[in-house]
Amino acid sequence: MPHSGKPVPHDSARGHATGTAPYIADLPALAGELWVDYVPSPLPNGLLRRVDTDEALRVSGVVAILTAADIPGRNRFGSIICDEPFLPSDRVSYTGQPVAIIAAESREAARRARALVRLDIAAEPPVLTIEEACAAGLFIGPRRRIARGDAAAAIASAPHRLEGEFRSGGQEQFYLESQAAIAIPGEQGQMVVHSSTQNPTEIQAVVAEALGLGMHEVVCICRRMGGGFGGKETQAAIPAVMAALVARHTGRPARVVWSKDDDMKTTGKRHEFRTRYRVGFDDDGRVLGLSIEFHSNGGAFADLSTAIMERAMLHADNAYYLPHVEITGQVCRTHLPPNTAFRGFGGPQGVAAIETILEDIAATLGRDALAVRRVNLYGVSERNTTPYGQTVEGNLLPRIFDELERTSDYATRRRAVQQFNATSRTHLRGLAMTAVKFGISFTTKFLNQGNALVSVLMDGTVQVSTGATEMGQGVNTKIRQLVADEFGLPLEAVVVLPTSTERNINTSPTAASAGADLNGTAAVRACAEIRGRMAECAARHFEAAGGPSADPAQVRFADGAVFDVRNPDQRLDFSELAGICRRERVDLGARGFYATPLAGFDRESGQGAPFLYYTTGAAVAEVLVDRFTGDLTVERVDLLMDIGRMINPGVDRGQVIGGFIQGMGWVTTEQLVYGARGELLSHSPTTYKIPSIGDVPRIFRVAVLDNDLNKRNIFSSKAVGEPPLLLAVCVFEAVKNALTYAAAGRPVPLFIPATNEAILMALDEAAKSRNAPKESGVAVESPVGVP
Amino acid sequence: MRDHLLLYVNGQRHEVRGADAFLTLADFVRERLRLTGTKIVCAEGDCGACTVLVGRPRGRRLHYLPVDSCICFVYQMDGCHIVTVEGLTPGRRENDPLHPVQEAMVRHHGSQCGFCTPGIVMAMAGAFETDDGRHRPEPLDADALRRALSGNLCRCTGYVQIIEAGESIDPASVPPLAQLYPEQAMLADLAGAAAQPAAISAVRGGQTMELFAPRTLEEAVVFKASHPDAAVVCGATDLGVQHNKGLRVPSVVLDLSHVEGLSDVVAADGVLRMGAAATWTAIGDITEDLVPEFHRIITLFGSPQIRNAGTIGGNIVNGSPIADSLPFLFVTHAEVEIAGGAGRRRVALTRLYRGYKQLDLAPDELVAEVRVPLPRRGEILRLYKVSKRRDMDISTFTAAVLARLGDGGVIEWMRVAMGGVAPVVLRLARTEQWLEGRPFTEETMREAGHLAAQEISPITDVRGEARYRRRLAENILVKFYHDAQPAPAGAVR
Repeated sequence: MPHSGKPVPHDSARGHATGTAPYIADLPALAGELWVDYVPSPLPNGLLRRVDTDEALRVSGVVAILTAADIPGRNRFGSIICDEPFLPSDRVSYTGQPVAIIAAESREAARRARALVRLDIAAEPPVLTIEEACAAGLFIGPRRRIARGDAAAAIASAPHRLEGEFRSGGQEQFYLESQAAIAIPGEQGQMVVHSSTQNPTEIQAVVAEALGLGMHEVVCICRRMGGGFGGKETQAAIPAVMAALVARHTGRPARVVWSKDDDMKTTGKRHEFRTRYRVGFDDDGRVLGLSIEFHSNGGAFADLSTAIMERAMLHADNAYYLPHVEITGQVCRTHLPPNTAFRGFGGPQGVAAIETILEDIAATLGRDALAVRRVNLYGVSERNTTPYGQTVEGNLLPRIFDELERTSDYATRRRAVQQFNATSRTHLRGLAMTAVKFGISFTTKFLNQGNALVSVLMDGTVQVSTGATEMGQGVNTKIRQLVADEFGLPLEAVVVLPTSTERNINTSPTAASAGADLNGTAAVRACAEIRGRMAECAARHFEAAGGPSADPAQVRFADGAVFDVRNPDQRLDFSELAGICRRERVDLGARGFYATPLAGFDRESGQGAPFLYYTTGAAVAEVLVDRFTGDLTVERVDLLMDIGRMINPGVDRGQVIGGFIQGMGWVTTEQLVYGARGELLSHSPTTYKIPSIGDVPRIFRVAVLDNDLNKRNIFSSKAVGEPPLLLAVCVFEAVKNALTYAAAGRPVPLFIPATNEAILMALDEAAKSRNAPKESGVAVESPVGVP
Repeated sequence: MRDHLLLYVNGQRHEVRGADAFLTLADFVRERLRLTGTKIVCAEGDCGACTVLVGRPRGRRLHYLPVDSCICFVYQMDGCHIVTVEGLTPGRRENDPLHPVQEAMVRHHGSQCGFCTPGIVMAMAGAFETDDGRHRPEPLDADALRRALSGNLCRCTGYVQIIEAGESIDPASVPPLAQLYPEQAMLADLAGAAAQPAAISAVRGGQTMELFAPRTLEEAVVFKASHPDAAVVCGATDLGVQHNKGLRVPSVVLDLSHVEGLSDVVAADGVLRMGAAATWTAIGDITEDLVPEFHRIITLFGSPQIRNAGTIGGNIVNGSPIADSLPFLFVTHAEVEIAGGAGRRRVALTRLYRGYKQLDLAPDELVAEVRVPLPRRGEILRLYKVSKRRDMDISTFTAAVLARLGDGGVIEWMRVAMGGVAPVVLRLARTEQWLEGRPFTEETMREAGHLAAQEISPITDVRGEARYRRRLAENILVKFYHDAQPAPAGAVR
């Protein structure tokens, strides 16, 4: 019986539930192991004149304090633009930036020393906001552009126009396991690093760079992460290098586990985006021309910011056809921690902008926003090319809209919302449906590759390893299912090994929702190769034992056995065959490789086909707002997605629900508050509020369109990690919708996150605009909303 | 006097001496006992990843409650039995069956990255415990699970599959801890030690540390008089956080959690009397029927783990202007009884606060009891807590309104207290005076709101802007007007 397609439990679930699945902090201490801490910069910008470690070094138990001068290799890294130091040598660039590394016999000793290291910094004024960076001309990478037709002319000649500004705030990944690493010095200067990372190859590379080693002298291992969400795609680098530097200088194993506060203060987050737009549309709300200008707050160093901006621009259309469009994007350089990947990778920011524009168009015209979204939706055979020229093939969005409108009872509930708002003195309700069309593939073409190593052992069990890292998303579980099915084995006969650069080389980060696509396909390819050799051996064996003439193509692997379909009663146990293969000197190991067949995207021209396929869906949210406190309740959510034929429906359902709730946090309660020095004030769960169990909508209906149409991907499945997060934008638009009822049907400016505070302040704005004269068919200048 | 602590962990007896007594419980089990299933994430009691079950002797039984082990100290565990995630299946080997809660979490995809999972498992297992040590008669429904898990953050799952796991569990299959860990021998052993106060001295990292855990209030007062700088600890939900963040690591600790009678909660003659060491869980239990409105606020206050540790005495003495209990205690004219070297005195709670976290409390004085005259029939009480997130969040703004309406809908009197709008919780005397005798209408309350906004001096901080708090102060009185109306059918509350 095949395992793929079944909701088998996560392959670490028993370990999770019993507490026996170890994370970095849980691994037993090694002999002589040192604890690693760091000294963060207290200032966002300034010349670093001196690091005074004298007093700190006198603390009992402190072994070493290292600074940039102690880096034997190159003190610079960055996977796109190489602009970031591991430790600053001449100037600090953000508050919280690690400046010095402390190695001590105990956590307490390191903590005491940390307070005694004195940093002499000549403070300079920081640039913290997008506006300040634009004014100062501080940018990262070039301004990019994607365009089709003549947006300016289409807007100018449109019957209706809107223009305005929209902002979405940053978001902390809030993986529960903070950044952590252990470095173990080996012989001849070699180094083994256990890292909580989505990107072991990158850790291998940066540790080699920092230590002045070749990559062949460094091994990186990641068994599992306690969550990643993009936050460990690049930013596991500095903690890993910290541990490696200590190990190099002391010759002792070194462990670093950041506190949650330090992690939140020092690491980058989802980018804050500012969107300025002009849109022209007809009486039905059909977009005729759109000009959209994105600026993101990149922080102090490039990190992945330019790629994230690219994905935002590639998702500015979301599910909607834009005949004449101009999209530009520019990353701003500021003195905040370098912002980085977070599930969605710019996609949510782009999608939130276009969905908000459509919501405002609907309110301006006094039409139901669902009707406006429908007239703009990508068609199945026409109006189905994106602004960058890729055709939306096999588009299920119209079907998803039809089904969801019906199953969510949208029309009836719209009437109920209207009636409620007309009578309630104390509360408002809002209702909105939004869509997602998420492009699957790294937009940087070369990253779309995966490799896997499969070993059939002579007892008939199987070890598999790939470049995928397990952060909870269940990629190892899916790979185990796929591999077991390739050999017709029970799950127990297959083990997915920890990700290690010893087994899987030159890998891409586990990101872009593509972990199972890339690595699962590579693993299956390796299995197929081994199976082919085993089938040849089996066919010879069957013939020799009196069976049909040897024909490997007739050999099947099922239920732990191997047989020729022409003579199914003559069987070999898989384990028996493995033993025979070994004795007959048949190679039972293989490496599988997969490069996604892609045309690719030309970022200079802004045209191309960056994606293998799209994952699509839609969701409807109904919200309740307290008119006196702004208190928001998400009462009901109905969600429908096309995620193809699921390898593991239990895992995928968890991805859909978990992604949605994470997105709901981004658009509602999660607020990054910075002080004047660019220091994060909301740096722990006391002040930074991710959704808790009580925030989950009481009615939450999650459904998928069960189908096997996506022949381009393994098992006809679709990537599921990021897309559902973007559907949470419906919660934000439902709040916007509720506010229009307090503003005589006009759009009310509101930014992400819609905190209770932002909602209450927007209600004040709504009350003001209620009394203003209603305009129609002319440009409406959206006032600046609530910061 | 004892120079050590006596406690059990997963049925194993431990005598703890020296510096280990001052570790957090999470560090103790992880580092000293190598029980690394208990995870540390926030180190401030906001995520629940470190949840363990603490069994305290109550009568002839051990009464198990979930607590956040990262913000309590080993010395508070004197006389207790702690069960960690490893202890749910004593003696289990790799392929043995799991505990029913663990099994359900596995089957229902209740874990993804797994880091929060042990804490979730422990909080859920704790919800199956009963007062009589038998099986819980009913399964846990979604609401009960949401209450039980309101102190556990999960970033991966979106919680739905965790709730489904919890709902699927047959309570008859869940072994009560009393069954897994026979109690009588443990109780006898612990009771023997409990009779004596514990006093421990140690040196850690060059700093001397001293603990005194008295059994009577008199002993406590004497100790406080000779150690005026001692940190007074009951639940340690605040000190634990400050300790972990390096903000306050006291060298002398006076632990009141073992003082006899200091945790009692009784209601008689219209007065609710709460010992300073009474936990919010205990107060929540007694107020459920007595003052449902206060009970409702208590259930929004922290999480089960926090309410099982945090005490009313701590909330009052900590003196935060956003302490969730204070507005209620202000409008009900609560009094505190203070014990000191010079004897006992009573003071109106409103007079206890002099400024931001400044109390009218001498170095040798301890708050012993809180007395609340309960609202009477015909009085209308509403309490408000506004925060960024509904559950498990520190308030941005709090308010209490207690009113009596006279004939013809005239306000006989109205008491209004607000928190988060000034350095201390305020009674809005001018607004109250203005309201007296006016008709109870929306218009009156709207005007009162404007007055209230002038009587406060809110600041902008990480939880909200000053103008937001001012607007809340205005609006909340109008909201009170609507809340005080008889509810029409189908109305949203």
